[in-house]
Amino acid sequence: MKAQGRSSGSGYLFIAPATVYLAVFSVAPVLFAAYLSLHRWHLLKPDHPFVGLGNYRALLANPLFRNAICNTFVYVAASVPLGVATALAVALLVSRPLRAVGLFRVLYYLPAVCSQVAISMVWIWILLPEVGLINYCIGLFNRALVSVGTTFGADLAFLRIDTSTDFLHQPGWAMAALVAMSLWIGLGPRMVIFVAGLQNIPEVLYEAADLDGCNAWQRLRYITLPQLRSTMLFVVVTTTIAAFQLFTPVYVMTRGGPQRTTDVVSYHIFKEAWLKFEAGMAAAQSYVLFAMIAAVAVIQFALMRRGMEREDVQ
Amino acid sequence: MRSLPILGFVVVVIGGPTACRDDTPGSGIVLRVSDWGSPAVESAFMTVERELQEGFERRHPGVRVRKEQIPGPGQYAPKLCMMHVAGSAPDVMHLDASSAAIFIDNGVLLDLAPLMKNDPTFDRSHYFENVLDITRRGDAFYSVPLDFTPMMMYYNRRLFDRAGVPYPKDGWSWDDFLAACKATTIVPAGARQPTQYGYNFENVMPFWMPWLWTNGGDVLDPTGTRASGFFDGPASVEAMRFLTELMVTHHVAPTLAERAALGGDAFLNGKAAMDLKGHWMLIDYRARGLDVGAVSLPSRTGRPVTVIYATGLAISRHTRHRELAWEYVKYMTSAAVQIKRVASGLAISGNRQAAAHYAADPADDVEHAFLRAVDYARPPWGSRVENYPYCESLGEEMMEDILYGATSVEEAVRRTAGLMDAVLSP
Repeated sequence: MKAQGRSSGSGYLFIAPATVYLAVFSVAPVLFAAYLSLHRWHLLKPDHPFVGLGNYRALLANPLFRNAICNTFVYVAASVPLGVATALAVALLVSRPLRAVGLFRVLYYLPAVCSQVAISMVWIWILLPEVGLINYCIGLFNRALVSVGTTFGADLAFLRIDTSTDFLHQPGWAMAALVAMSLWIGLGPRMVIFVAGLQNIPEVLYEAADLDGCNAWQRLRYITLPQLRSTMLFVVVTTTIAAFQLFTPVYVMTRGGPQRTTDVVSYHIFKEAWLKFEAGMAAAQSYVLFAMIAAVAVIQFALMRRGMEREDVQ
Repeated sequence: MRSLPILGFVVVVIGGPTACRDDTPGSGIVLRVSDWGSPAVESAFMTVERELQEGFERRHPGVRVRKEQIPGPGQYAPKLCMMHVAGSAPDVMHLDASSAAIFIDNGVLLDLAPLMKNDPTFDRSHYFENVLDITRRGDAFYSVPLDFTPMMMYYNRRLFDRAGVPYPKDGWSWDDFLAACKATTIVPAGARQPTQYGYNFENVMPFWMPWLWTNGGDVLDPTGTRASGFFDGPASVEAMRFLTELMVTHHVAPTLAERAALGGDAFLNGKAAMDLKGHWMLIDYRARGLDVGAVSLPSRTGRPVTVIYATGLAISRHTRHRELAWEYVKYMTSAAVQIKRVASGLAISGNRQAAAHYAADPADDVEHAFLRAVDYARPPWGSRVENYPYCESLGEEMMEDILYGATSVEEAVRRTAGLMDAVLSP
């Protein structure tokens, strides 16, 4: 008994730092944020009157916050499917026995180890009108068109693409630019998880499929994807949560503009807290974001579980 | 016994950093001073500041000045607020006039009036009254001016000469300004857009807000509690329409997209003839070899007007070194120190004697134009209204809407005035 008691004492000692850390830096702030959200809490004002659900009612009636919610869903709807599909495609490529495959894996993973601020600065340059990398490449394409047209005596001017597109300052392009950048940033971690999932698929299944005369698409459809179900669920849910929390690229690249088309909820919360110092309202917005993420995650779990059950029955 | 090494590790991890604090008893007094500078981008200026601080340390043996820099746009005010809430505000703070109200109106700062009154070595008349009054509330003073700049209209003499246009003079009108813009804008034959513009419009509200004043309009009512009736009033709307027409109708200023394509600041790049900026830009203009002049803003009211942005030194209400902090404020704002500090041309010294030192050359018409503006310049709304920085972000979003043609000027301004009212409501 004595030895068991000493052993459990050491166990508690081992988990104490992590428990204290979680309690102080995660659980307590979450609970305090709930308390804040029920008060009119200006950071510098001495009075913090209780307003009940007043903050929630006010922000749901606020057209700017509703706009931020819409923008967030647009970003999630675009970046999650594209991000997951791209990562899966790259994972399938780098899982093949190619020469220098390790190098490719490192290259694809590289953005994940870079600071998002630094990456955002690079993308600002990539997206600049005229001199940015994308517009520069479009300019090269235009010059190639002229050369081809001159060589063959054809007028190809109608195929020219405008090189003055300011991707980050045009309402139609800014969100698309953020989605494109998110694919690049998130590719590495998602790819690594998919590669791990692919390596866990028993080789014998593919051998059996070969014997049955399956083609590449059938192998993917009937072996790879079903075997990746739990990996897929994990990647989809974590990618969705990350997408809902988009902040750094918006802060660095667009500041919510142009015309508030990239004003997502996390950035809106930041402005509420640090431009207006309204901590109570910002906390309420945080809880709305939390509810959105939780709801979407639950729906994703339910849908994917139903899909798994259906496939198991088949 | 087996747990002892673990316990020891925990003690070292938690206790180590605490034991390494540099303001332990016996190491002297540390006077904490905050500002928004960054050594990475302002190394020469920071070197001068450090030398001046060392001068203060030599005068006060046992005292060490510790600079706490909080760089980054929009980072300074929130960080200081959090430090104040956490009870760890710096002893002395650089106070930006455009966001001073949040600190003054929430009891963050010490009223310096008693210190001024009881100190025979301090003389308020040594400072520009207009600048000193920016952070004044009745009889209370919350900062002593370090430096300041009115916003002035810079013009590129070379581009004016090339266009054969006479240089603008104080008292000019909007019509004169538009005529100068048209004359200095160059559109090569067959080109889709100008290669040189008359005016470099930048959608930063502190830079375009003074245009409202030049037409008798304003952002807020005189009490600073309401935008409707003022920001969406006829005079303000007319000013904003005039600005947008410079880009959309007359094509004498780059649109937002064209500005980005020009590589940012068209005036600095020698591709715009005029720009509305502060004294700090002189450093870059001189570095680029631009031959610039400065003149008051064109006005439709017959009266010159502009906004004055300033930096002052304030003291935390909770400082434990009140007297020492006051000595530091006096030292840094004294004429001798200021003459060294503003030598780079970053701004005009708030100390009259130091400012006069750099305006000694009667041929320096740029410096004199700035000093003339001190008499008629108005303080920024952010020095009076604590939520004004948020109103500015709304104003910039609105201007973006207008310039991208998403909405009419009238509709955008009316809607934004309503949003500002909501922000300003108690």
